[in-house]
Amino acid sequence: MPNLYKPDLMEVIGVRQHTPDVKSVSLRFQDAGRARQFTFQVGQFGIFSAFGAGESTFNICSSSNWRDHIEFCFRKVGRVTEALWRIEEGDTVGFRGPYGHGYPMEAWRGKDLIFLGGGIAMPPIRCAIWYALENREDYGRITIVYGARTVGDLVFVDELDEWARHPDVRVVRCVDPGGQTPEWSGEVGFVPTVFERSSVSAGNAVSLVIGPPIMIKNTIPVLKRMGARMSDVYTSLENRMKCGVGKCGRCNAGPVYVCKEGPVFTFQELRAMPMDY
Amino acid sequence: MNVLTREELRKLVGEWIAAGKICTGPVRVKPELVLFERLAKADDLLLDGWVRPANSIKELVLPRHEALYGYRIEKNRIELVDQPETAPEQIAIGAHPCDAAALPILDKVFNWDYRDDAYNRRREATTVITLACAERDEECFCTSVGLGPEAERGSDAILFDRGDGSFLVKSLTEKGRALLGEGAANGGAANPPPARFDAAQVASFARDHFDDAFWKEHALACLACGACAYTCPVCHCFDIVDEGNAREGVRARNWDACQFPLFTLHASGHNPRSGQGGRQRQRIYHKFYLYPEKFGEILCTGCGNCARNCPVGLGVLPLVAKIPHAEPV
Repeated sequence: MPNLYKPDLMEVIGVRQHTPDVKSVSLRFQDAGRARQFTFQVGQFGIFSAFGAGESTFNICSSSNWRDHIEFCFRKVGRVTEALWRIEEGDTVGFRGPYGHGYPMEAWRGKDLIFLGGGIAMPPIRCAIWYALENREDYGRITIVYGARTVGDLVFVDELDEWARHPDVRVVRCVDPGGQTPEWSGEVGFVPTVFERSSVSAGNAVSLVIGPPIMIKNTIPVLKRMGARMSDVYTSLENRMKCGVGKCGRCNAGPVYVCKEGPVFTFQELRAMPMDY
Repeated sequence: MNVLTREELRKLVGEWIAAGKICTGPVRVKPELVLFERLAKADDLLLDGWVRPANSIKELVLPRHEALYGYRIEKNRIELVDQPETAPEQIAIGAHPCDAAALPILDKVFNWDYRDDAYNRRREATTVITLACAERDEECFCTSVGLGPEAERGSDAILFDRGDGSFLVKSLTEKGRALLGEGAANGGAANPPPARFDAAQVASFARDHFDDAFWKEHALACLACGACAYTCPVCHCFDIVDEGNAREGVRARNWDACQFPLFTLHASGHNPRSGQGGRQRQRIYHKFYLYPEKFGEILCTGCGNCARNCPVGLGVLPLVAKIPHAEPV
């Protein structure tokens, strides 16, 4: 039996710096056979590592249709991410996964899609946006509201412009009051209020809401006012994890192992769980 | 054989050690401290009188520190180095029924969906020779979690102290028979601890009172030292860390504990369990509600080590004894 905890070795084929402390990294399997056989669902996560520093858990933020590489995105906040910050093209990192359940993209067919994200929450939304755009006929109108504290904290901004050029895709960018620059052409305000002003109908929509707890807390009532059912509103939890495979006991949220039963949950499911996330 | 004298048992242990088997049993390491320790010689094995060691035999299947694999770095080329795939044969002698039962309980979490091979290799290489409990202390509560002083669960053989310097032998599995022969004796009178609480009530209280002030109130004394988890036969939470430098090292699994504030701290600074009350609740909730829901087992064997080793008088029994309506039925 293979060692559950032994990662695949991945070659770094690209590094993009998005903000003063956020980068995304593109990886390719060193083992060509493993690369051919590897599949995942958008919304699943991986455990990425810098050898000598340790492992960290991130969403796989590339689309599952991209067969030649995977991507992850991180903010430099600790020991492992400091080490990942220093990696360059040609370096080797570790990857275990995919783990957990992704977004039910099949079940979302025929629906409008609303993506609401704050700050570093764009990567786990981005994979679903690309997937939906690559299967455009399967989904209805797409609304993306993305906000950050300041203009400099927005990530994947070039892709926001690209998405906006697709038909029936509306992209609303916003920054917190005080976070705008003189050149800023987007909205000023918080995601929930900016979203409410956008007068979107949520009745036949599936929503994916990821961001800091305060953003989520204030966005849910807006979605309810717009007619969304909580069984159609999804998020991805970010409980701290170590093993990713339901052993280490760290990600328990009430009766749930987030790593195995999540990280994707509807707000209807979350309502039945105690606040342990 | 149905009966072994203390000397005969010690002689057998000496032979196992000489044959290269790793033997572990209760050892008096200090005047006031008995631990399950690897026996350097058979004479170290404590065989007279009832003592509950301050640790448990889970260390045989889930060591405090275990290298999962090694790494070597040269420029930007990285090589991963496997650990040996064989686990040495190991024997626990004089385990208590509350230690032996821990192993089949732990098997569940280490084998659902993903199988943990390092765990399974050690588990298969382990034989447990249990000594039934002729005595108990105030912290013992095995009968409240479905076990007892003569419970056979998880044991490969069980010994009963006859009080005259000899043991009745009952072999339970092939592994047990391989070491002790076809013993088929049955034990004498035991002195089981009285039922201390109703585990079903504890489970429903933990489920229905998640945010109750109860947890904060009764956890105020907790120092977050983790002694309860480390000395528990079934607490199995672990961390995965790199130990080494930028050239070589190992990625290791080390014990962790839900009582530590950093255990659930997110990178953003948000901590879902920001106070010690929530962490004490998690320990009870995991043992009496989550684990039974997921695996059909209470994650507690009633050994009482948490209370014995707690510097401030907490632990499973002291805490659940305060849960309303949890008195035994």
